[in-house]
Amino acid sequence: MPAEAWVVPFAVGESSHPVVRRDPREEAGGIQDPQLRGHMAGQASGRIDDTLLVREAQRGNRAAFEELVRNYDQAVLRLALHLTGSEPEAQDVYQEAFLKAYKSIGNFRFECSFYTWIYRIVTNLCLDHLRKRQVRKEDAPVATDASGEQYDVLDQVPDGRSGANPERDLMRRELGKRIGRALEKLTPRERMVFELKHYHGLKLRTVGEVLNTTEETAKNTLFRATQKLRGALADMR
Amino acid sequence: MKCEWVRENVLLYVYNELPDDARYELEQHVARCGDCAAELKTTREFHAVLSELPVEEPSPNLVAASRMRLQEGLETAQQGRFWHRLIFDPGAWLRQIRFAPALAAAIFIVGFAGGIGTAYKVFGGSGGFVSSATGPASAPAESSITGIQSITQDPGSNHINIKYDTVSTQEAQGSLNDQRIQQLLLFAARNNYNSGVRMDSVDLLTQEPNNIHVREALVYALRYDSNPGVRLKALDGLGAYVKNDPRVRDALLEALVQDSNPGVRTEALRLLEPVGADSSVRSVLRKLAESDQNQYIRSQARTMLAQLPEFD
Repeated sequence: MPAEAWVVPFAVGESSHPVVRRDPREEAGGIQDPQLRGHMAGQASGRIDDTLLVREAQRGNRAAFEELVRNYDQAVLRLALHLTGSEPEAQDVYQEAFLKAYKSIGNFRFECSFYTWIYRIVTNLCLDHLRKRQVRKEDAPVATDASGEQYDVLDQVPDGRSGANPERDLMRRELGKRIGRALEKLTPRERMVFELKHYHGLKLRTVGEVLNTTEETAKNTLFRATQKLRGALADMR
Repeated sequence: MKCEWVRENVLLYVYNELPDDARYELEQHVARCGDCAAELKTTREFHAVLSELPVEEPSPNLVAASRMRLQEGLETAQQGRFWHRLIFDPGAWLRQIRFAPALAAAIFIVGFAGGIGTAYKVFGGSGGFVSSATGPASAPAESSITGIQSITQDPGSNHINIKYDTVSTQEAQGSLNDQRIQQLLLFAARNNYNSGVRMDSVDLLTQEPNNIHVREALVYALRYDSNPGVRLKALDGLGAYVKNDPRVRDALLEALVQDSNPGVRTEALRLLEPVGADSSVRSVLRKLAESDQNQYIRSQARTMLAQLPEFD
């Protein structure tokens, strides 16, 4: 692949969740919702200069690296937060991922996009996290905030859809909890594929690239994960 | 067949992952087939249900706090520099080399020169690099040996080949009975930095444990060798003398009590079984049975004690 090829925005699929802020690269595919466009503008600016920024960062320019961080860090935090369900843990993943990227950016050879590269680092760290969690079998979706207090993640989510309907709000929370528990039962790899596809809207081809596997394998893993979730949530349809 | 294909692809359809022609085909089929239409509806509904778990946007506070923490981390983090990469990731470094043909030529020239040099050594015969121990050649003074490079035994024969360094590498060949070979083996068992070579020499020496020097070397290896494999080999060689040689017995007891490797200790315990009645062995067994940290050793010691005849 030519060194600059990755600058061309690659296709990132549509996210399933209406609240999700999609990756700015989706702009290339044409996003219809003007509100979403507005959301994206923040992190989209300057992304076209990634090649230059990476080159500068490779020469030891820290400001350039920090610019790259600002381009991608919200997407990284969003993924880590949804997977870990905990702000401190998401922060740890964030910190570790970008420090790792900083230390090894000299080895970045432009064989894939910087976006894929940083996502690869993040997903690997999250997979480690999920594996550890599987051993611990923690209850989802209870999380801890920065002060160490436990809270229900779903209680923190503003719900624009339910309005002032507390009954519906409660039902939605219950539903969210059950989905959270069903997701916890997937293997870490199934969870990751499902997460990237369903909640973060990546194309299966990109999911394969990020997880260092083929699109076909990603597709099969998505099928397996969906089957398991359908089994676990059979009574909810 | 068509329905089966639709069922296989309906999920990809919902996720917008089907190519246009397949998408069109699926839509056409669903419009005609009630079962498949129901399957599509179910899949869509389930898709919607799963989307009830919200994806949170990280709060501005969290983003700000994470950025600040990262900045602090970056202050102390070191980027991998050229030398670092060269040492820790030579593969990546080599991949980058744009002058691969020049490098290949250089490697070829160095290899060629090395080959000529070696051939000169072997065939040019600058005299005593290769010497044979089959005749009564003079034994090398131990003080002049700086290290043993390798020990090999021809399979199925008594012929041993030892490469050793004095000022330059030399080679000695001969049978295990040769004094020079034995001397080199004894030297290797005690002094070599390479545990593989020590292992080979101890292995060969176990074939000659009647020699008092050899037995001493084995006891030395058992007591002081840093490699558990070498100590185990030495143990095997000494096992037969545990009954008749009190020094061997003491060395085994010492290994049983003090060795850091549980495998060596277990083997020592097994070899000491025939002399369990010996008072020194018995007292060690009692101690082990009472308070050894290793559960297996503890229970084995108890079993052995239970099998011993009572004198008290």
